[in-house]
Amino acid sequence: MPAETSPAAAPAAYQARNSDRYSNAGATPDPWVECAKLTYGADRSFAWTVREQVIATPPEGYGRVEEKLLKALATPGRTDAGLAFLCQMLALVASAKSVPVLAPLLRADATADAARYALERVAGPEADAAFRAALGSLTGNTKAGLIGSLAVRGDTASQSALAALKDAASEPPVVREAAARAVEKLNSAKS
Amino acid sequence: MHSSLPRPVSRREFIQKSSLATAVAAVPLILPSGLRGANAPSKKITVGIVGCGNIADSHFPPLLGSPESIHVLAVCDVDRERRETGAARVNQAYGNNDCRAYADFRELNRRPDIDVVFICTPDHWHALVAIDAMRNGKDIYCEKPLTLTIAEGRALVDTARKYDRVAQHGTQHRSMKRFHDVAEFVRNQGLGKLDRIECFIPPNNRFCGATWTPEPVPAGLDWDMWLGPAPWRPYTSIGCHYNFRFISESAYGQVTNWGAHYLDIGQWALDMDDSGPIEVEGCGEFPSSGLFTNATKVDFTVRYANGVPMHCRTRHEGGGTVRFVGERGWLDIARDKMSASDNALLREMQAPNKKIQLALSNNHHDNFFDSVRARKRPIADVGLGHRTTTVCNLGQIAMVLGRKLKWDPAKEEFVGDEMANRLRTRAMRSPWSLA
Repeated sequence: MPAETSPAAAPAAYQARNSDRYSNAGATPDPWVECAKLTYGADRSFAWTVREQVIATPPEGYGRVEEKLLKALATPGRTDAGLAFLCQMLALVASAKSVPVLAPLLRADATADAARYALERVAGPEADAAFRAALGSLTGNTKAGLIGSLAVRGDTASQSALAALKDAASEPPVVREAAARAVEKLNSAKS
Repeated sequence: MHSSLPRPVSRREFIQKSSLATAVAAVPLILPSGLRGANAPSKKITVGIVGCGNIADSHFPPLLGSPESIHVLAVCDVDRERRETGAARVNQAYGNNDCRAYADFRELNRRPDIDVVFICTPDHWHALVAIDAMRNGKDIYCEKPLTLTIAEGRALVDTARKYDRVAQHGTQHRSMKRFHDVAEFVRNQGLGKLDRIECFIPPNNRFCGATWTPEPVPAGLDWDMWLGPAPWRPYTSIGCHYNFRFISESAYGQVTNWGAHYLDIGQWALDMDDSGPIEVEGCGEFPSSGLFTNATKVDFTVRYANGVPMHCRTRHEGGGTVRFVGERGWLDIARDKMSASDNALLREMQAPNKKIQLALSNNHHDNFFDSVRARKRPIADVGLGHRTTTVCNLGQIAMVLGRKLKWDPAKEEFVGDEMANRLRTRAMRSPWSLA
């Protein structure tokens, strides 16, 4: 069979085989999308890739990484584990730019803990305002957690609201106790 | 050394103080209202144990072995089987059924008749249980590492000072004579100019695959309370008792499990009990998938202002040890063995009347209870425990970030590295916080 032995035919056959092989593999998944769809117990290699990129980013690149993480938060099919992971990464680099995206998550009982994980590390009035605003939206345990964040952040502007919660008969004990501790902490920080 | 430190107030004095406090603010879970009018026997110290796992196993024999001076009144665990087993152990030792078993540490901490609380929980709980106990007038013995994060450690120490509590860190090497002797010898320049300290820690002793399967929570285990301030995750049997230490949401693996012991002796020998290194760098190997997230191979170095480096590395054979290397040779010390480049160094080390003499304790429990009675700081006061735990944290953070970091031990912050500073703390899961 001359065609099989000719010098020109051999490379063409080789290329065809490789083409088949790679087209079957499909497009390479984007770790910044896949990490948002992380599920508990599943392989977390994509999240690891993202983590490695985040921690290797120099300070001048924090803004760029922050934008990628915020974009990933909007991934369709985002999971609870994905949200938790992305917020853990945002805790390392987030700035005031993250506040508008995280604030709605902070106001929902189901996502407030994840949002606090990122936002508690963000200094500045924008984050302070988001925490204070969420006081009126959360209930029970998550509200108590939010109150703890206000105290840890040393937000003295929240003191009057916390003092009112401390004595609010409408609130469950967990909220009143958290408010009392927060007021005590903020008072001791001032003295 | 310890006699010059501020004196923690006695429990009786605390009760008087706290009675005044509760008169103006009666919030049951915050102020020790339960203490009013109650006094534990002045000689017999009453004990509560929070956490009834394998760490508590080592505390039961000495605590139950001195019924004339120590009385265990209560145990607590979020796992029903464990707390019931713990209570049964106490009751069997005393021949009665008086030991109460609690599922919630806050109830134990509020018992007015308990003097001291032993904290033997997973690491992510140490700070919150300890702080709550001290706010309620208890002295504490907190297992190592003192806390999970640097911020938690500072908060715990501040609470101990604010409420004048006796607070011992469970680094019992501080009460083993051989470690004392080595630290004292090095402090007295027995090795000449110190060149370096080398700590070796064992490798992780449990492994898991790249994936894992969430399982139903076993009957009797309060998984939500087990997680407490740690980020939520579903239960799996390979990620609960004991193995929590290999998951960074709960602990930092052998860095804090064994590093808390051996790095502590380096801190002691360097006279760094109220300070720490100024620089750290490391490069650990971390699993890229699977439930366990802590370093499988640890390698970091902290450096002190006097130029001495302290290395910490995983060693697969030989167990944990700390080696001091100076211009006169080296000393290698572990719990069960001691060696030197020259036996003459070992003989010199035993010689009495050294210029600098370190406080000597021969038993960590006895030292704690003696300190409780005398209202003095114990041999491994939480202040120095916090400093050692900080060294562990510095190593962990440097390995995670993979870069050299400058540390300011006075301000307890990294210099010029915002990301590293953010890793000094973390938000807690609701409703918990450091407030």
